Amino acid sequence: MEDFELLRYVTVGQYLPGDSVVHRLDPRTKLSVFLFLTLAATFSLSYAANAILVLLTLGLVLLAGIPLRYILSGLRPAVPFIVVLAVLQLLFYGDAYTPYGTETQDLLRWGWIHVTNGSVQLVVVSMLRFVVLLFLTSLLTNTTTLTGLTHGVEAMLRPFGRLGLPAHELSLVATVALRFVPLLAEQLEIILKAQASRGASIAHQGKLRFVTTARQVAVLIVPLFVDAFRRAEDLILAMQARCYVGGQGRSSYVRLHFARADYVAYASGLLFAAAMLALRNRFPI
Amino acid sequence: MPIAISGPIITTRGLSFSYNPHSQHPIHALRGIDLDVHPGEYLLVIGHNGSGKSTLAKHFNALLRPTGGEVRIKGLDTRDPANTLSVRRAVGMVFQVPDNQIVATVVEEDVAFGPENLGVPSGELRERVDWALDLVGMAEHRHRQPHCLSAGQKQRVAIAGMMAMKPDVLVLDEATAMLDPEGRRDVLEVVRKLNGEGLTVVAITHFMDEAAEGDRVVVLKEGRIAMGDSPRELFARVDELCALQLGVPQITELAYFLNQRDPTFPPDLLTVGELADAVERVANAPNNADDSSLPPLARTRAVPAPMVPSEQTLAIAKEDDQPLVQVRDLHHTYLRGTPLEAPALHGVSLEVNKGEAVGLIGRAGSGKSTLAQHLNGLLRPREPGRVRVGGHDLSDPGVDVRRIRQRVGLVFQYPEQQLFERLVGDDIAFGLKKLGMARLERVERVRWAMEAVGLDFEAFKDRYTFSLSGGEMRKAALAGVLALRPEVLILDESTSGLDPRSRRELLDRLLALHREEGLTLVFVSPSMEDVAELVDRVYVLDEGRVALSGPVREVFARPEALRRYGLGVPQVTGVIHELRRRGLAVEGVPLTVAEGVEAIWKTLNS
Repeated sequence: MEDFELLRYVTVGQYLPGDSVVHRLDPRTKLSVFLFLTLAATFSLSYAANAILVLLTLGLVLLAGIPLRYILSGLRPAVPFIVVLAVLQLLFYGDAYTPYGTETQDLLRWGWIHVTNGSVQLVVVSMLRFVVLLFLTSLLTNTTTLTGLTHGVEAMLRPFGRLGLPAHELSLVATVALRFVPLLAEQLEIILKAQASRGASIAHQGKLRFVTTARQVAVLIVPLFVDAFRRAEDLILAMQARCYVGGQGRSSYVRLHFARADYVAYASGLLFAAAMLALRNRFPI
Repeated sequence: MPIAISGPIITTRGLSFSYNPHSQHPIHALRGIDLDVHPGEYLLVIGHNGSGKSTLAKHFNALLRPTGGEVRIKGLDTRDPANTLSVRRAVGMVFQVPDNQIVATVVEEDVAFGPENLGVPSGELRERVDWALDLVGMAEHRHRQPHCLSAGQKQRVAIAGMMAMKPDVLVLDEATAMLDPEGRRDVLEVVRKLNGEGLTVVAITHFMDEAAEGDRVVVLKEGRIAMGDSPRELFARVDELCALQLGVPQITELAYFLNQRDPTFPPDLLTVGELADAVERVANAPNNADDSSLPPLARTRAVPAPMVPSEQTLAIAKEDDQPLVQVRDLHHTYLRGTPLEAPALHGVSLEVNKGEAVGLIGRAGSGKSTLAQHLNGLLRPREPGRVRVGGHDLSDPGVDVRRIRQRVGLVFQYPEQQLFERLVGDDIAFGLKKLGMARLERVERVRWAMEAVGLDFEAFKDRYTFSLSGGEMRKAALAGVLALRPEVLILDESTSGLDPRSRRELLDRLLALHREEGLTLVFVSPSMEDVAELVDRVYVLDEGRVALSGPVREVFARPEALRRYGLGVPQVTGVIHELRRRGLAVEGVPLTVAEGVEAIWKTLNS
């Protein structure tokens, strides 16, 4: 019975402490390489390219020491969606896509249903791509603290400050939001438990199906919002009491720095992604 | 830290403040306060909720500006916006709720937030953060995430965050209200140390034993200073404080009653050591006062009779040989099967008999709440654990959990988390509606529940839940659970953080329900005084195991063991232990002030 453990179903975005090479990389490196590989995965349509990407990301996951079972358990709630999507693609997307350098070959045509070599490839590639993206996101978020990510994003956005982009303020907003996530999750859990204690049948309708009616949602959301606003008001006072007046004239405690591993990772990520993009139409299958 | 100015560091003259001053119903929170705080002083401010304490504190660092009169910090007028930053630099402020004042997601970065705002350059910034974390003893936790810390640790981080700005004054706005005894002890130790090094401290508190430690105590009442004196002088005026319904430290109360019986006994004592000294001195005095000429134990306020496990409750327990609640070898792990799993219980067994009041105590994270939530099926036991409630086995997947939840009511700590309807009446009727009870019957039940907790039905049923005061919210939350007429009521820290008057009232209501209605109580509380007064038996939890259990008196007879588990004993009990350590023959283990007076009196006259 773990009906009330909301965190159990969220594996992406959960930092897992560790000391692997991947953990130790600078967040800017990880964010950049994440972007490069995501681009590579988005534009790769061949079986071979996607297989290479799956193997590469799987290797990185193992290198980072993230348990595969943990990543896959996060996938479980999404399985029904993926299956429905795959079936629809397979049956109705026959005309939408022809693999590069081949002719469309009908595999099955019956009424509206139209399966071709194209739709088969589309389904398989979508699956592989989904796995690659899941691995990449897990790699980024399971090995980097949220704080690390916000500092990384702030540092990467800072050059745009001259164009009027408030990098510091954006990063503070993100930090505060992230601070509140565990608090609000805890709060939601207590509200659910308090309601269950008074006879609301929450745990009985199956996992995560407690938000069934609008009435129940309102009864959950109102106290949650009241709590969030009260916390926000407190936080404003606490920030004012600590002389916060905005990003002007602030110094910064966190110093990010690139080590040799970062240069290596950054360069190989960039080269690999560039190669994948350049060669995307040259793979045999 | 020491400051090079003479005269008071904070001065208020005719300070008054109103919320919504231009509306039709302005709230006058402060009505003319003249106060000087001197460098190096440790000033305590006490008073009920709504007496203006927090409003006053917020004036000290320009979070609020006076609507009348003036406030000067190191001579700077807070009404001038140009002074705001200098004032906030000089006065650091720590707030009540630990979670709501931490900005960053890593401890050391949060401590750096203040000095970053001041533009302290990078090298000095690191030094300040190291220094401040060392000061509060949190250096080893610098890389952790704040939400993984205990409440006491969070408050120490908040203090470090203020100290890193190198203020002259530290203001604590009920900073210990939400902490367990151990967390409170650690925070107070830090504050005392800082004050010893010359820092001026202004602390607002509900804890009278905390107030006893200051150089000066100021009592606020309805926005005015009602009393102000050294703690020794002030707490000796027991009658006045009782008239204000504020109470005094248990030690002072003991001394006061002993002085009423024997005028040679000093009435103005503050610490366990002082009281023990006085008892020794009087006991060894040649001419002991004789019994007959003395007034009976004066009772100036409504303190209920000492809670001795009555014959009646014991008899009820015997009638039924099956305990009402039975827990066997219970284990629990949060997020089991993930890399983040956190074990909470390791083989806990417990029994609660019908009509009994049982306490669960232990430091934060010892597993009290986890255990409590197993008792009404919010958490379900796993093999080999067993939880039985009145014949129902909760490890049976087919059991009707809702029926068990109806029989075992659970009230959580913060009432605002348990009130979810717009109107008080609707909220209390929530569970009854879920049961499908008819309207008329429902109204009667709601009326009964509201009256049982001391909320007037007509006056409160149509009030908005979120407009209630803290004490009223707790009563409403309790009524919502009581309306279901549970056989067992679990209170998970439901009395923490209340002001003395609301706390007293809630305890009295609970005692009445327990004694008169035969309600079985499971009471989780960090306050040993409350536990001593309310329950018959206690279970002490430590790291997910039952470390000690037995009748309260037996458990509180072992202060060293309790200290090992991060707990203390009520001050009265502590005095008796101290007297015995000094070789005086004192009988029994008194749990309340009245019992303590009798025990010491007996010793003095033997």
